[in-house]
Amino acid sequence: MSDYLIGVLSNIGMIAFLALSAYVLLVTGSISFGQQAYFAISAYGSGIATAMWGWPLWLGMLWGAALAGLAAALVAVPTARLHGLYFAVATLAFAEMVRLLLQMLTWQIDVDGTLIGPMGSEGFREIRYIYAHDISAVQFMLLIYGLLGLVVGGLTLMERTRLGLALRMIGEDEIPAEALGVNVAACKIFAAALSGIIAGIGGALYAHLITYIEPALFNVMLGVHGLAYGLIGGLGTAVGPLLGVVLDIGFLESVRAFAGYRMIVFGGLVALLLIVRPRGLLDEVTVHRIVRRLIRSDHVAH
Amino acid sequence: MLALEGLTKHFGGVQALQDLNLKVSKGSIMGLIGPNGSGKSTTVNLICGVFGITRGRILFDGEDISRVPTHLRLSQGIARTFQNIRLFGQLTVWQNLWVAQNAPEQKHGEPFLRRWFGGSRRAQAQVQGLLEFAGLAHKAQEQASNLSFGEQRRLELARALASQPKLLLLDEPAAGMNMEEINDLKQRVLALRAEGKTILLVEHVMELVMGVTDQIAVLDFGRKIAQGSPAEVQQNPQVREAYLGTQAR
Repeated sequence: MSDYLIGVLSNIGMIAFLALSAYVLLVTGSISFGQQAYFAISAYGSGIATAMWGWPLWLGMLWGAALAGLAAALVAVPTARLHGLYFAVATLAFAEMVRLLLQMLTWQIDVDGTLIGPMGSEGFREIRYIYAHDISAVQFMLLIYGLLGLVVGGLTLMERTRLGLALRMIGEDEIPAEALGVNVAACKIFAAALSGIIAGIGGALYAHLITYIEPALFNVMLGVHGLAYGLIGGLGTAVGPLLGVVLDIGFLESVRAFAGYRMIVFGGLVALLLIVRPRGLLDEVTVHRIVRRLIRSDHVAH
Repeated sequence: MLALEGLTKHFGGVQALQDLNLKVSKGSIMGLIGPNGSGKSTTVNLICGVFGITRGRILFDGEDISRVPTHLRLSQGIARTFQNIRLFGQLTVWQNLWVAQNAPEQKHGEPFLRRWFGGSRRAQAQVQGLLEFAGLAHKAQEQASNLSFGEQRRLELARALASQPKLLLLDEPAAGMNMEEINDLKQRVLALRAEGKTILLVEHVMELVMGVTDQIAVLDFGRKIAQGSPAEVQQNPQVREAYLGTQAR
């Protein structure tokens, strides 16, 4: 496998976490423009843990994802009552706050003779864990896809439970959901925390693969992409956002024919899809049809 | 069973409901009628906790539930249907009922994780029973948005019954129905009373209200102007005035 291919696949995998985190909230009826904040919090948190404190990678990632989940839950407490545009603006404001705070964060310590740590807007270099421990690009890619598989599988299972159905009910219509005994505020905080953790896993992976992060990476465009992937790929299943990422990064970016025009094509694609398929390619109706067909062919086979 | 005491709701300057006193006794059907905008749906929404109340209180089984959070009123035993059908169209018929079955599972003491992530065989059997009650067993895996209007109404009623409520609030269940469907609904409502359910029926369709209720309360501009048996209410001059205007006398 060429280095280029491994690079693209790793990118797709990492950004997929961001797309899935936006998806969890979209399903619950909330449009967040701030998922990049949790990606960033975990990137910094896990980077600090492994590069500065010498923690092992798994613990650093756990720590980063937990921080991101906690931050998301705390943001959800005051924003759970907001809808539509108001929620979108509140999450965007929070994410910009995080980005600006990271620009001010300067904290370096001496690790084996070199100063390591975030340097404000100049960023955070030398998050070298995977190089120091001889983890190859292929191995790291397998780690990304292993975790991605766990998240997608977990979400798919969750969506079949009452909890998962309750989240979709909230996304459709809150008042009858509440009349059916669903604690809407608690479910929204749960969904937010879950989305923060998922974005956090992606952020931690990102920091360790790239080894250098800076606040400017986590601007609103990153969040907009995360959001758009779910809208393109579809909101009927957790596989939808993955399809969105593959279409954009895997296809538009890799096919060099669009070089330089990628964002124009991408923007047009989003606009077109929102008009003809407002809930994405794999929307609920399509997913339902596919599932029924699978069940039926299963019956025939037996 | 249900007692509203001085129930009042203001929306800004609009007095949607003024000092409503109403008692619904166990196992009876109370009708709530009145012209558009008289406060019928507001009453239902206050009992369910969709809106907070301005003044007064709601007693249910002798307990003040005015401050009980909305989502907990179902497990207290209060379920409702909506004036304009509000099903979850993306979900299947079965899924619509499955989530609603959560409240009785809570009552039966199923642990939290089991209720939200699993679900008992008993609950599955009950959903199956509800599907048959609604005549939708063959459409269990259909998306709710694909059902016909009448089927959606039946599903919504089944969904309200899924929580095994003591009190059922029906907000204009016959709206948009033809005579045949209304008769079918009438039979279902009477069957529910025979099972011992208490029902508050908000309705414009007089064939249904006059046919099934034990008592009727009449609202006009947010105030109760009359209460009595269907025959008494029909004779009441104030009621006639509210509906037909003074000229019609």
